[in-house]
Amino acid sequence: MLLGPVACKRSSDDSSKAPPKDPGPLARESGGKTPRTFSAFEYAVVVAATERILPRDEDPGATDADVAVYIDRILQTPEMEPIRGDFLEGVAALERRAQRMFQKGFATLTPAQQDELLTLFKDSPGKSGEAHFFELLTVLSLEGFLGDPSYGGNKGRVGWRLVGFDTVGTVAMAPPDDYDGPKCLRECGVHK
Amino acid sequence: MSLPEVDICIIGSGAGGAPMALELGRAGFKVVVLEKGPHYRPQDFIHDEILNSRRNFFMPLPWEEPHLIRRNAKERYERSTAAWTANCVGGGTVHMSGFFYRLKPVDFRLRSTLGAVPGSTVVDWPISYEELAPFYDKAEVELGVSGQAVPHPFAEPRSGPYPLPALDVHPVAGEIDKACAAMGWHSLPTARGIISRPYKGRAPCAYCALCGSYGCEMGAKSGTNANLIPAAIATGNVQVRPGCMARTVEVDRKGRARSVVYVDPDGVTQEQPAKVIVVSCTAVESARLLLNSTSSRFSQGLANGSGLVGKNLIFSSFGESQATFRLSKQADKRPWLKDPGPFVNRSIQDFYLMPDTRFGFRKGGTLGFMWTHPNPIHAATGLAGSGASAVFGKELKDRMRAYRDSRILQFEVYAEYLPTPGSYVGVEQGVKDHFGIPVAAITVERHPLDLVATRFLVDRGEEVLLRLEPDEVKRTNTTGETTILQHGTCRFGDDAATSVLDKHCRAHEVPNLYVVDGSFMPTGGSVPSTLTIAANSFRVADHLVRSLKSGARAGG
Repeated sequence: MLLGPVACKRSSDDSSKAPPKDPGPLARESGGKTPRTFSAFEYAVVVAATERILPRDEDPGATDADVAVYIDRILQTPEMEPIRGDFLEGVAALERRAQRMFQKGFATLTPAQQDELLTLFKDSPGKSGEAHFFELLTVLSLEGFLGDPSYGGNKGRVGWRLVGFDTVGTVAMAPPDDYDGPKCLRECGVHK
Repeated sequence: MSLPEVDICIIGSGAGGAPMALELGRAGFKVVVLEKGPHYRPQDFIHDEILNSRRNFFMPLPWEEPHLIRRNAKERYERSTAAWTANCVGGGTVHMSGFFYRLKPVDFRLRSTLGAVPGSTVVDWPISYEELAPFYDKAEVELGVSGQAVPHPFAEPRSGPYPLPALDVHPVAGEIDKACAAMGWHSLPTARGIISRPYKGRAPCAYCALCGSYGCEMGAKSGTNANLIPAAIATGNVQVRPGCMARTVEVDRKGRARSVVYVDPDGVTQEQPAKVIVVSCTAVESARLLLNSTSSRFSQGLANGSGLVGKNLIFSSFGESQATFRLSKQADKRPWLKDPGPFVNRSIQDFYLMPDTRFGFRKGGTLGFMWTHPNPIHAATGLAGSGASAVFGKELKDRMRAYRDSRILQFEVYAEYLPTPGSYVGVEQGVKDHFGIPVAAITVERHPLDLVATRFLVDRGEEVLLRLEPDEVKRTNTTGETTILQHGTCRFGDDAATSVLDKHCRAHEVPNLYVVDGSFMPTGGSVPSTLTIAANSFRVADHLVRSLKSGARAGG
């Protein structure tokens, strides 16, 4: 399954879809978290929003898993190009709604206020931009939480531990530690 | 630019195209296989869900190559990835689960056995089970099929055992056996296109659990990429060209197929002439190719003077329920729940025909039992739900923790999808893919009797699940269709007015054009059709080799 039919919806406004300057955004980096897709401000909103989708409780949450790092990087891949603009528009819409309702930025709201806003987006009409963004946010958060760590998320395999994937006693094993998913995304099937 | 002529050009390398390539190559004919996707090697098949299942590794992206789909002719089309199978050498056989059932004799004469069905265009096949059976045998041997034949009321005749013994199964299979026996039903080992022992130079299954929807890094899954295609290339007569998207099949002045025009991996348009052209791109995509191949002689599309290309589209009727066992509650008294074995491999076919005529039509189907797929992102997006009923935050994490504590057994229903005038595929001139080719547009209109039969089968399957005393049984679907199983769009028959292909899968209207994917099947049967497509392709290849050789002896 891809992102699904909802991913086909494309904005008519192309201004936010400027292609990335750096063609190698998925290269591994150690600890360096300079965002590639997001401004520092947008990045803070994404960190806050993904942490509400998967909050830390007795188990690690989205921030622990570097979910925002995943989203920032994966939106640079060519396959996700049509999604990038939608996602950035959604982040801006979330921020606008936060300012209108609470006169504060989304990242500075209380968790209860953030949840209230996200619920508003979730419960918006099915074909609305708000509902579309909520679905993208959820799906990309889960990809970042439960995808291979080489894409930048699922740090320390905390997501897999939460759902019991690739743990002792199961047989569905993940790729080895030195696996490079982003490289395969670019090159698998290319045999010269 | 036109390339040198070859004997045969085959479009597609999956269950239909590969047997033709192998048999024609073995017979000494020069064959070119055009495959739109890449040629993956075993090392490309990696347990990376993002790469494998969530991007365009197998399926095209919906904004690059959409299918249009709608529930009936009054609705608007939506862009979708539905009804694509894998785009790569081996096609859908690469990422299949490999449930390698045969059809039953009754599937070949459904209309005459069960009578006319108002609202359905159901017909008999022009061949019998007995005519196809030797080619089922051959397909099982060539591909590598494991299984164990056991007697039951609807068992199809077999000439001998499966080429390979059944795969090891999870202990829950024994529990299903007991539950079925208690109800007087027959729990059948499911034949798999997965080899259980070393076979023809291939390594056996490693029981890795990431099987269906993935390619097999062991080469143990019997996709044509693992067996027939390498053997075809080894004949020295077959060239496989990956990354080549067929645009049209061209005809000459006499109305014979002349060449295939395709876009090569560099985006350059090429023309491959051939004496015989074989189309095998899936029932949806083959119909699209023929409908896009218009000429002054075939203004409605190639071989479509009858107007039947794309009509009578059938998928497989789908239903599903899931039984959840909570390990924290059940593992003490049922330690086998923690067994890591990935395969259940149990089927029920006691209701292949209904026990009576209470529903008006007596075709039932097959129940297949399996563990739910272990892909974690797929599982979690399901747990999160969608729309207003979606959850996030603590509720989502609680569901993920409950999932970790669960083993989830499910069954799938494969039931008759009756052909109707309202289920068809056309092309939409106004919507083009990234090659600039008009895309396939699918209209699905289900016959109500399908849904009755599917629900009946779901009820029976739940009776089995409940006997296993799970913590929860959840009905997930009774009205679905499996769109990777597709048939009917170039149905075969003896009458050129009511069918596209003759009994040898040759177009009535074009004497050197064959279609060998699921398109030929006027009814889909009530099992996954992969093995049937491969067997039929071996049958067609046998006929084609003989007719080409006798034609050559006759001087032309």
